[in-house]
Amino acid sequence: MKKVLALVLALAMFLSLASFASAEGFSGEVKIWVAEATVDFTKEQVEAFKAAHPEYANMTEVVEPVGEGDAAGKMITDVEAGADIFGFAQDQLARLVAAGALEEVEPGNAEVVKAENDAGSVGAVTLGGTMYAYPMTSDNGYFLYYDKSVVTDPTSLEKILADCEAAGKSFYFEINSGWYQTAFFFGAGCELTFDSNDEGQLVAMNSTYASENGVKALKAMINTAKSPAFVNGSSVSNATNLAAIVDGVWDSTPAKELFGENYAATKLPTVDGFQLGGFGGFKMLGVKPQTDDDKLAACDALAAFLTSEDVQLARYNAVGWGPSNLAAQKSEAVQADVALSALASQLAFCTPQGQYPGEYWSLATALGDDVLADKLDDADDATLLKTLQDFEATCLTYLAK
Amino acid sequence: MTDLDYLKLSKPAKMAHDLGSGIAAIPGRIVKGFKGLGLWFAKVFRGLGASIADLVTTFKDGDWKTRLSYLVMGFGSCARGQWGRGILFFLFQTVFNLYMFFPNASLSGCYYLGKLSTLGTVETYKEGRRTVYGDNSFFILLYGVLTLFFILAFIYTWRLNVKQNKISEQILKSGHKLKTTKEDLSSLMDEQFHKTLLALPVLGVTVFTILPIIFMILVAFTNFDATHQPPSKLFTWVGWDNFRQLLSTDTAAYGGTFKQVLLWTLIWAFFATFLNYFLGMLVAIMINKKGIKLKKVWRTILVMTIAIPQFVSLLYVSKMFAQDGLINTYFMKWGWIKSPIPFWTQAGWARFTVILINVWIGIPYLMLIATGILMNIPADLYESARIDGANAFQMYKKITLPYMLFVTGPYLLTSFTGNINNFNVIFLLSQGKPQSLELAGNAGYTDLLITWLYKMTVNDTNYKLAAVMGILVFVVLAVINLVAYNLIPSVKNEEDFQ
Amino acid sequence: MSKKNKVPEVDIVVDEQAGVIREVKPEKTRSKKGHERRVNTSIYVILVIMSIIWLAPFVFLVFQSFRSYALESGGMVDYLLPKHWSLDNYRFLFDGSNFFPWCGKALITCGIAAIGQCALLTLAQKKLSNMDSSDKKGRLVWLLCTLAVGLVVFLALAAAVQGMAFAGNVGKICIVVALYLIVGYIMARMFTKQDDRLLRQIPGYVADEDSSPLKKLLSLCLEFLAMDLILLCIVSPMVTSQYLRWYGNTLTIALFVAVLQTIIVLSVSYTLSRLRFKGRKLIMNVVLVLGLFPGFLTMITLYFLLKQLGMTGAGAVPGLILIYVASSGMGYYISKGFFDTIPKSLDESARIDGATRFQVFLKIIMPLAKPIVIYTILMAFMGPWGDYVFASYVAFGNVPNYNVAVGLYQWVNVNDYQGYFTRFCAGGVLVAVPITALFLALQKYYVEGVTGGAVKG
Repeated sequence: MKKVLALVLALAMFLSLASFASAEGFSGEVKIWVAEATVDFTKEQVEAFKAAHPEYANMTEVVEPVGEGDAAGKMITDVEAGADIFGFAQDQLARLVAAGALEEVEPGNAEVVKAENDAGSVGAVTLGGTMYAYPMTSDNGYFLYYDKSVVTDPTSLEKILADCEAAGKSFYFEINSGWYQTAFFFGAGCELTFDSNDEGQLVAMNSTYASENGVKALKAMINTAKSPAFVNGSSVSNATNLAAIVDGVWDSTPAKELFGENYAATKLPTVDGFQLGGFGGFKMLGVKPQTDDDKLAACDALAAFLTSEDVQLARYNAVGWGPSNLAAQKSEAVQADVALSALASQLAFCTPQGQYPGEYWSLATALGDDVLADKLDDADDATLLKTLQDFEATCLTYLAK
Repeated sequence: MTDLDYLKLSKPAKMAHDLGSGIAAIPGRIVKGFKGLGLWFAKVFRGLGASIADLVTTFKDGDWKTRLSYLVMGFGSCARGQWGRGILFFLFQTVFNLYMFFPNASLSGCYYLGKLSTLGTVETYKEGRRTVYGDNSFFILLYGVLTLFFILAFIYTWRLNVKQNKISEQILKSGHKLKTTKEDLSSLMDEQFHKTLLALPVLGVTVFTILPIIFMILVAFTNFDATHQPPSKLFTWVGWDNFRQLLSTDTAAYGGTFKQVLLWTLIWAFFATFLNYFLGMLVAIMINKKGIKLKKVWRTILVMTIAIPQFVSLLYVSKMFAQDGLINTYFMKWGWIKSPIPFWTQAGWARFTVILINVWIGIPYLMLIATGILMNIPADLYESARIDGANAFQMYKKITLPYMLFVTGPYLLTSFTGNINNFNVIFLLSQGKPQSLELAGNAGYTDLLITWLYKMTVNDTNYKLAAVMGILVFVVLAVINLVAYNLIPSVKNEEDFQ
Repeated sequence: MSKKNKVPEVDIVVDEQAGVIREVKPEKTRSKKGHERRVNTSIYVILVIMSIIWLAPFVFLVFQSFRSYALESGGMVDYLLPKHWSLDNYRFLFDGSNFFPWCGKALITCGIAAIGQCALLTLAQKKLSNMDSSDKKGRLVWLLCTLAVGLVVFLALAAAVQGMAFAGNVGKICIVVALYLIVGYIMARMFTKQDDRLLRQIPGYVADEDSSPLKKLLSLCLEFLAMDLILLCIVSPMVTSQYLRWYGNTLTIALFVAVLQTIIVLSVSYTLSRLRFKGRKLIMNVVLVLGLFPGFLTMITLYFLLKQLGMTGAGAVPGLILIYVASSGMGYYISKGFFDTIPKSLDESARIDGATRFQVFLKIIMPLAKPIVIYTILMAFMGPWGDYVFASYVAFGNVPNYNVAVGLYQWVNVNDYQGYFTRFCAGGVLVAVPITALFLALQKYYVEGVTGGAVKG
């Protein structure tokens, strides 16, 4: 009798486990938004994922080419019609969380992500102690590409400008981008960070822009813009007469084509005695909030897969995107890449990425535009200080109330 | 001033006097306008009162068919043999009831009406890892307004139903026959033809223009922005806060920026309209002049540029004027300038370039219009003027210009209005840049109110401020139109042709 | 410039020294002629410079479109002529499509089919003219049989030459059969009855009342060719590249909008111009007020309204058509002005003769309104090609359903698309050329519309 009972109990447990297992898995549609260059690659990887996880074999994926710049805006406009998994850059994180377009990373996955990816990328996906996205690349920073035959000494910005002027070529730098601008300010020793609370809202600002260092940085910016060789921009394909450009890994192929044998890349130069710094830039995959537990589990698993070490390495081999995964970064192929090495050496001078309010980026553009418009050309130190103080004051108004 | 004194004034003095009295009359006209508005409201109220009184009397005097129609729309028409009308009325009532009291409570009209005052109270929450969406403020507002529309339409139709019953009764009492359904249908092609032709367009405009505009006007009184995005977050009514924020002038608030952008919008519209107008007229006169051959060729060359889609030509031209673009490169190659002209990076240059390129776009269009009108001016006017010894400029001033202004007066007004809302040119050329620390909210020096509105909607998803701006644009345009309509007649009196 | 017989302006000068009376051109006339010539020359110079300035960007655009993206990198470079002229950009636009083979085969299919159908119709006409004119049933049967045979010819050719598949295509084939029978019957009936008034209204019908029968037959053939081509597109569409897909989307939107918007605008402007009813003034004032609101204000609302109807993203094309057409009634102003110039006495005399308002609208006013109809169609057709804002909002990232403006804008302004500048130029040229040609062909109607009928022809 007891044996029969035990058998029945075992059978019941086994059956319940089996039904539990068969309740997992998901067979609906998952929409994915990635940059156009990686659409085919992503499709292949999702097929590999489905092959490796039979419970998701009946899932259908729809991969649409929506770039990182557009994805965030579209998700915020209409979360329900947006993608389930989408790629975006770190500056959109705060906006997306505030609009409810990002679901927390599954706690189990979060531990793995923290351990496997570099500190900068982990910081970029974390807001108020919670991780909201899966880090994908750490190559969204910038460094210097230059033409070896024109630029003789790439360690000093003044020399670079002199070389370009002598050769009648141009030096490209996007001064009116809040992203590139920090090269001057952070390099001169200023700080601008925002603290967030548990709900992901930005509640405090730490800024030392309005200081002697800030004025030094602003003056260096103005002097650079004054040079006849200076052109505001950061895209190789749209540049004419290029000899040196501060740009990122995504432009390595056009730069190689343009400079040919004279292609070279290195960390950013020094200016006015200080080393240009900047942001590390990161791209990540986010999962939108779901109303269905199974679908959420599927999306989490897929996103984790697409940002795992093997896939990150494969992505580098396919489209040249520098991985954020520590092991992948140490692989031979990545180490041999000229652009990525330049980025790596520059990263030593970069500030770990935090969160910035969406309005900060347009405020910085405004500051850059003022410099480009020669408005601050003859300003004395006091005026420059006042400009930076106004800048800080406006940033303060962006904090959550 | 007496009429005699007026006639004694010189021409400029006359114009000044007219302009002055026209402008001075504006306050008077505005007061008259308000009085008219007040009278109109009074008329509407009286009309409403009369309607209600009429309803009561119809009920009292009507027969049982009429009285039953108060409850069941269309009953009276059916009972009197007008089946077509009756069934239509009844169907409408059924649809309305179905919508208002839909079984699935969260989709019914009453549900949305109820939530309209709070715009949703149930927040989104998480059950474990999955999200359960609560109230969707956007749809509450949208369907709430739709329901209000529907209710208004229902009241109107119900009233129509009652009136028809009354009229039918009277017709029958006086011994005539009522229209059969067939006669009704054929009258739709005849006396009621306007209803047939206007039904679809009016429906389209109501649902796709009036409804969204009213919705956005209401949004201006909520806090619908990037941090209050449905479906995850709720937004609610905040009254006049948004207006205060847009118009206040603390640092980092939008008031100062708003004034600057408004000023630039008006300046831009002025130059875009009148510069194009006079230059286009000049070109038309040049081509139209006796002695110029190949008139058609010149006109065709210029007109071709109208046909090419703006997004192609403007995107290309904007790149031509970039710092490293064609124009700067060639000017430097030819030694005309030493360093690149900051066409897009300095505010003054950017504004100048935008106006210049707009001239490039606008002249062919204006030239076409001007040519058409010029060809209509009788040639003997010019002949007699020449015999009298007038030179070209005098002929222009006394014959061409007055005629053109007379014919194109309304066109100038619509063109000015259109240029205030001229999104394409600015957006494709400069995207409103350059920006500056002095301008808040992402605005740039070449931003018009409408491009700023677009940026707020698409880039910042700050719908509440975009709505407020839309309302203010409307107010500005309405004022301009009113002023212009009042001024144009007084300027028209100056047009003496001979 | 007509040479009039003018009495030359001369002065009579008495030359006392020589004792002669001479005729001398007065100083004033001489300098006046020179002055006029100088003025004309300077005007010519100005016009030439203007033409260069106006045409230059487009010429440069065309040049850039021949600069291969694979061989020469860079966006807006600082040299005008490409170093190597190549068709790479255009090839990229058609890459992956079977555009050229499809077009070739389509012309063969539809050409032969149209000739066959016309031949059959001529035979039918001969037979019908021998039949009794009161035998309506017999005539109907004959016409339908002729049409059916023509239809079978068309389908057979489509299957053989174009490779049209019958298997999964049943629904579309049914639609095509229905459309063919309806439209073909209308055209055939008008042809056999020698009543081609309505046929002549269709643009492209080159014959008129007094042309030879051969010319009329040729025109009918062209009409059938056009119809066959359209039906072939439904039943056996070509494989498209991304750019061609965008082009096709925009073309579809433009065609539907052209037709629907014209109907709506003409209805509204006719009503407001000729008919008097309560609420007429109210409607005109409301439309005036609504027009003062900026258009983008309503973008987000329209997006969600369309989303409820399922017309965003993948359904962007019908969604855009709906938005454009629904509010088009507000643009009645120019058409109304045109209708106002048609004398009301025509209406009145027709109504005295017993016509309903509908008949007045269709039979009397519409034929007179040809210029404004063509103007409205032209304007409605040209609109959707340049709309970036609404199209990108409604498409919501669904790239195959972009229109040309959104697609090309992405190529220029989105960082993902580095080096697409020359391809943008090529794409722009392919959009601009047909529209410009259409515009130039219908130029005179455009001028009439814009000048409010002040200039006719």
